[in-house]
Amino acid sequence: MTTIQQPRILGAGVDRVDGPLKVTGQARYPNDFNLPGMAYAAVVRSTIPSGRIRRIDTTAAVKSPGVLEVITHENADHLGEAPATFIKNPQPPLQDDQIRFYGQYVAVVVADTQQNATAAARLIDVEYDNHEAILDPHDPRAERIKDPWGEDTAWGDVRTALKRAPVMIDQTYTTSENTNNPLGLFTTLASWDGDTLTLHDSNQWPNMIQQVVAAMFGVPRDAVRVLTPFVGGGFGAGLRCWSHIPLAVMAARHVGRPVKLELTRPEMFTGLGHRTSSINWIRLGATRDGRLTAIEHESLTTLPLDGDEYEPCSSVSASAYASPSVTTRDQQVRLNIPWTNFMRAPGDAQGNFALESAIDELAWEVGLDPLEIRLLNYAEVDPKTGRPWSSNALRQCLEVGARRFGWSNRNPEIGSMRDGHELVGYGVAGVSFFWYQQPCSAKVIVRSDGSAYIRSAVTDIGTGTYTIMSQLAAGLLGLEVSQVEMQLGDSSMPVGTAAGGSGLTAALGSAVHDGCGRLIQKFVDLAGTDPFSPLAGVPFEDVEVSEGRLFRKGEPTRGESLARILAVHGLTELSADGSSTPNTPEQMGMTPAGARGARFVEVRVDEDLGRVRVARIVTVNDGGRILNEKLARSQILGGTVGGVGMALFEDTVTDKDTGRIANATFGDYLIPVNADIPDVHVEFVGEPDAFNPIGVKGVGEIGLVGVAAAIANGIFHATGRRMRSLPITMDAVME
Amino acid sequence: MREFRYERPSTVAEAIRAVAHDPEADFLAGGTTEVDLMKDGVFHPDLLVDITRLPLRGVRRNGTMLQVGALTTMEELAADRTLMERAPFVVEALLRGASVQLRNMATIGGNLLQRTRCRYFRDPAVPACNKREPGSGCEAVNSVARMHAILGASPACIALHASDMAVPLSALDAVVHIQSEEGERLVPLTQFYLMPGETPDRENVLRHGELITAVDIPLPPEGTRSIYLKIRDRASYEFALTSAAVAVVMDGPVIKEARVAMGGVGTIPWRGFEAEEVLREAPATPDTFRSAADGMIRDPFIVPGTAFKVELAKRTLIRALTEVTS
Repeated sequence: MTTIQQPRILGAGVDRVDGPLKVTGQARYPNDFNLPGMAYAAVVRSTIPSGRIRRIDTTAAVKSPGVLEVITHENADHLGEAPATFIKNPQPPLQDDQIRFYGQYVAVVVADTQQNATAAARLIDVEYDNHEAILDPHDPRAERIKDPWGEDTAWGDVRTALKRAPVMIDQTYTTSENTNNPLGLFTTLASWDGDTLTLHDSNQWPNMIQQVVAAMFGVPRDAVRVLTPFVGGGFGAGLRCWSHIPLAVMAARHVGRPVKLELTRPEMFTGLGHRTSSINWIRLGATRDGRLTAIEHESLTTLPLDGDEYEPCSSVSASAYASPSVTTRDQQVRLNIPWTNFMRAPGDAQGNFALESAIDELAWEVGLDPLEIRLLNYAEVDPKTGRPWSSNALRQCLEVGARRFGWSNRNPEIGSMRDGHELVGYGVAGVSFFWYQQPCSAKVIVRSDGSAYIRSAVTDIGTGTYTIMSQLAAGLLGLEVSQVEMQLGDSSMPVGTAAGGSGLTAALGSAVHDGCGRLIQKFVDLAGTDPFSPLAGVPFEDVEVSEGRLFRKGEPTRGESLARILAVHGLTELSADGSSTPNTPEQMGMTPAGARGARFVEVRVDEDLGRVRVARIVTVNDGGRILNEKLARSQILGGTVGGVGMALFEDTVTDKDTGRIANATFGDYLIPVNADIPDVHVEFVGEPDAFNPIGVKGVGEIGLVGVAAAIANGIFHATGRRMRSLPITMDAVME
Repeated sequence: MREFRYERPSTVAEAIRAVAHDPEADFLAGGTTEVDLMKDGVFHPDLLVDITRLPLRGVRRNGTMLQVGALTTMEELAADRTLMERAPFVVEALLRGASVQLRNMATIGGNLLQRTRCRYFRDPAVPACNKREPGSGCEAVNSVARMHAILGASPACIALHASDMAVPLSALDAVVHIQSEEGERLVPLTQFYLMPGETPDRENVLRHGELITAVDIPLPPEGTRSIYLKIRDRASYEFALTSAAVAVVMDGPVIKEARVAMGGVGTIPWRGFEAEEVLREAPATPDTFRSAADGMIRDPFIVPGTAFKVELAKRTLIRALTEVTS
């Protein structure tokens, strides 16, 4: 019975259920909340990358108008250790005098107004003892960590294969640091009531914030309630408990009032992590007709002094193509830099640029169409284990995309297509995205009027979780979407996982699926206890649900409504707890495949000036079952824009001596504007995935991946110049 | 918060008097640069004298001259029909600057006085900036410079003048009307800005208490063709890496008269007198354009991040000349 009964509700472009709230300003984001007696906090950040605080003079700040409190390491509360939650969280701030990166919090000022807090924060005078900072990934003194996640892979004999390969590509590809920059300024509003704490907070995982804050402040987890019903974007920035959160909590405890701490845009650059830069060394061996015989991919990414990060750039090369020998190795280097952190498609975004550029180079080397070489080396099964994929429509992505794009119109010769001053280039890239899923839970409730509501502590970061889960539950309970109410973003609800890793839809969706199935079972059982019920004696397996009614399969008149069953039994509601835990590949006998995709890009390159313009993009993706095509398309569109940004603009620049981020404003850190984004054609292919009961593969990140490689490959086709470093700026393209 | 006083006088004379008599006072017009700098802690006036209600707004035709009130907004000037017909490159420069929202606030007088976008100037946490703290040094020259000047620059300062509008206005020999308690003086825009030299904090000839009241734009002869070509990293809402303002009068294949200025390259809007010499009475050929471009970029001061601008600037000018003469 746990199959989806009303497929018409799924897949369709149902409008966001939270859309009216958002466009009328009624959806309240963390910085929209204000509480009576609330005070405001402003942070002070270090202006050196390494050393210790010799003296911190707060005299003027303390005397400044409206100031209630100034907290430094000298008067900060001693806080407990921050537990790791999947990955590490920053240890509590202001616990010692050590400076580990430029921009580290060294004080927080609390005042009656934001202006007074900000003005007073500027009056704090800090003297430092400077230590030598390590800022260059190539610095031999820097600590290096090999195989940080135990995910390095090796099969076959890469060394011999490379030695014997008639054709070899051996190149280095680099990507720059990028900053997530969600539009909503991250805000924490902390309010203590005795020993219980309420947080309105910008994040992607309320239960994680709850757990970390509770541990730091030594209170039971249940004493902390984190509210994040809406958040102004995340792109990975909200997946850790960043230091401004305990600062706000500590400040609220010090002043005995609610305290609001809203980061500024420049503070967002140092306080929420950023995408690591990467260096990728790739060697490909191939036969003369373009068949891969060896792939070797090594990567080097960066870490802060006391953090960790999961950026498996080289793993991309272990699952993308069929090759009899593969080696992938990742390495990290610790620097005096602000935390590196997940940003939309961590590892994949960078690794894919390297691999898909190298594959393109190989195609040119052997004289094969770049589309053909990808089809030729297509991995029919998981090349690492030989197991079948849970689903994989990469071939279809490439073939359908090529047709939509008109790839056959491409003149293979370099520089052969031109339009005025502009050289025209076609570029393609394939994407095999990783799979990720964590346990999750949800409560499903049907009320006396037959409507449902569903609760889970996860948050909707704007991707459409409220909407697709309403659709899913409506489909499973035989209701209309309007009869389902979703409640999310409250840590006191059933424990939920992160809105990250493109894994929430599968995790929460599977939990909702489980909960709906259990609830229908309860209804059937309940009906079975009523001898007058038309469902009496009907086994669960034979029950269908539609239009709010349970009935016997093939006998639509033999049944009764959910509301009636409740009424007969004098119940106001009936609920069930749903949960999901992903199976293992061994259990399933298959390798779970993340989303798959293909990018086709037409670039225009001004030959003299090196200006690159993206003229059109076709992006075809296999996301398994698409629950809502309109919202999925939005995810791909947004990812595509991010991909153009990564390819051509985004570059978090660090001053080489001080470690200061030199472009920490929207005026200086370039993201694409509308005029940079051409028509983008989005299409979905593929079938429901076999690895989870609802058949979905997340599409939150994949849209970004592959865009940079396709653009770089297009530039090569147009100009014959190979771009191996992101972002691609005109000085690199100019001859 | 950091307190400051605010006044809004109703006459030009009152406004000038208010600023002249307080060394820590300044005029406030559109505020699109000034207020940002105050928020960032770069600029700390004790008194802001709001001039936005003064009768200094509007565009008047005066023979072969357009007289533009200093408080005319960028959008208003960009909509002027005469300017569109006679000197479209000024309109192009205006519309390629900032965003509509900013252009509706920003004034012509204020645009001429906009401060550099240099990241080291705009962050008070950076100790060394000769423009912000005279004598403190220049951090940009040793750091990551891209949006910086290659002409007029020196180890003391490589900050770029970021105005687009001032580039074609320099080419046209616009004249700035400056009012003070002593009376009015007129300064050609080509002599209005100061090279940074050893005093990068002094950016122009204005003395404290002097107010720009108008800008005269001489209209080029009928039949003049003009272009403003702006090259930048993204397609919109971004400052120029290089830009070229060119106006020419053609006689068949020969350039009779040429006006050239460039943006994105200089510590001030960079007028190309030598390039104009090369172009005058010369055939409109690639060789001529290359010579003009070589004459435009003389003795550049470069740092690693700006080295590419030498060739990019030349090619920008060549492209502009090619397009405007063809």
